[in-house]
Amino acid sequence: MDSLFLNPLIRLSLPPRFRANPVKYSCLYVSFLHPSVFSNNIARRTRRTRRRRNPTISVRLGDTGEPKQQLNLSVLRFTLGIPGFDESYLPRWIGYAFGSLLFLNHFVGSRSYTTAAQFRSEALGVSLAAFSVALPYFGKFLKGATPVDQAALPEGNKQIFIMSESLSDIQKEDLAWATYILLRNTNTMSVLISVGDALCVRGYWGAPEDVSKASELDWFERQIQQIGFSDLRDTLYFPQTSDSAFSEMLPRGTQSLLVQPVLGAPKLGLDDTQEITGGFILLASSMSYAYSDRDRAWIGAISNKFRIMRVNS
Amino acid sequence: MKRLMEAGSLLRPISWMPRPLPIRRLFFPNFPRSVKASSKFPGAGYRGPKPKRDWVAEWVSRNDDVVRSLPIYVGGFSLFVVLFNRAASGIAPVADASSSSQSRADLLTLGLAVTNVLTGLVWLSIRPKSISLVNPQGVECQKICSDLPDYVVSELLWMWESLSVVTCCRSLVIVYEGSCLLQIGVAAESNGGNTMEVDAPKLIQGLLYQGVVKSGAQSYLANLSLYPGKSELPFLPSNTQAVILQPLGDKGIAIIGGDTIRGFTTADQAWITLIAEKLDATLSRFATNLTVTMQD
Repeated sequence: MDSLFLNPLIRLSLPPRFRANPVKYSCLYVSFLHPSVFSNNIARRTRRTRRRRNPTISVRLGDTGEPKQQLNLSVLRFTLGIPGFDESYLPRWIGYAFGSLLFLNHFVGSRSYTTAAQFRSEALGVSLAAFSVALPYFGKFLKGATPVDQAALPEGNKQIFIMSESLSDIQKEDLAWATYILLRNTNTMSVLISVGDALCVRGYWGAPEDVSKASELDWFERQIQQIGFSDLRDTLYFPQTSDSAFSEMLPRGTQSLLVQPVLGAPKLGLDDTQEITGGFILLASSMSYAYSDRDRAWIGAISNKFRIMRVNS
Repeated sequence: MKRLMEAGSLLRPISWMPRPLPIRRLFFPNFPRSVKASSKFPGAGYRGPKPKRDWVAEWVSRNDDVVRSLPIYVGGFSLFVVLFNRAASGIAPVADASSSSQSRADLLTLGLAVTNVLTGLVWLSIRPKSISLVNPQGVECQKICSDLPDYVVSELLWMWESLSVVTCCRSLVIVYEGSCLLQIGVAAESNGGNTMEVDAPKLIQGLLYQGVVKSGAQSYLANLSLYPGKSELPFLPSNTQAVILQPLGDKGIAIIGGDTIRGFTTADQAWITLIAEKLDATLSRFATNLTVTMQD
């Protein structure tokens, strides 16, 4: 983002402080390939600031006396420096590689009879390999983990931006802004906002080819009515969707889906220029587990903006 | 004639409904959680599938600490088992990979055990530091400039509600075109239990405002106590931990005070930037309408 910068005072003003309680790091910080900023799991959404990793000194800002002395293991974080290579999936690849080597060793290795000890060892190895393969999946749900791979846009969709005709300029501006902000700030590839009579669709959608431009809106309306989204009362979040009920309407390659209803009574009284509306916001993404708790909280805030629509300007 | 240009004296408290319920319940009737299991109106017309409960994700998020150290225990245990196996089977303690397949199998298993141990250590190292929040000291206030049309008021109030529910924001001040439009949340206490008013002209002449508006970029003071310019924000509670200064075009500023050091994430900053742009568009349209009516 061009328009953001962190206050540099925070990063540079405090000198590095050594821990009062020295912890033996032994041989762990001797040699690293790239003692640079760990590429993936520095979550953009965690509460730490970025800092250079110095392998020998632990640089911690604001190191006030914590009641529980935590091991500072940040020296272990290194990166191979290869762009596009996700280190958090390393256990999975090592698991596959070593597991297949174990099988190879068992069948090809020794000609003679394999001993019981070897069987035990291999069984343990194979189960460890299976566990390693599963590790990145569990790691995804830990606090502070971010999805690293920005999935590429799937084929077969085209970019559209359509809006109901019968809207005032203010409503059009609100809808355009809301769709823009949702597409830009979250991992969303397609967004649909339906509020009252107004419908706005933006992003990559896979409407069938034989639907003409003019009737695209009608096509979406029919799909919505078929599924009955407008009567939704709860937020629906499908982190990994493969449901066929939606697949006709959703763009190809959708992996996660979030449907946020627009609910609630407004806090201020209404006057003639406003009316209460119902509706929903639908977001589809090409990544699975695309929306974190905070993302969903913000999307809920955006949906609250549409509780009242201004009818006249 | 509208009086938006006059400074200071127009702030009046608006009448709010009493807030006995926590604001999350009112504002978000269905505050999103990671699980959705039921619909309140089962037959009310929604005919699509409902998401299933994600047991694994829930279990992992609930037992975060245990899961982080689990690979270490698994790896360490396997290490011992391999060595014990080797010792108990009476094999010579020589790890020569080319000699026997037993050694090769043991080495591979050891490699996997070490991978697990290292993964566990990495997971422990990336645990987010939990910083406790500091309750701002001051008085609650809800002040909004009079003579604003309803659509501007609802937009300002929507912005405050979103920020206070989603982020760690506890105070919000909006200054536009020389006057303070909104002061809401917790404010510093001046003598006698009244809230300290925002002196808009003084703020505008200060370095903080000038710097932010000139650069046109958001400024995030993640730890306000380290920042000497804090004296220009006397209306915020004295123990405000983090502040975001967001320019509204080149005519105004939004000052957002939070209760946790580094409490605003990068995502929050991005959202605030975009919401502020929208607010600037709304306010400038209102100001344009104002000048148009004045010229009539």
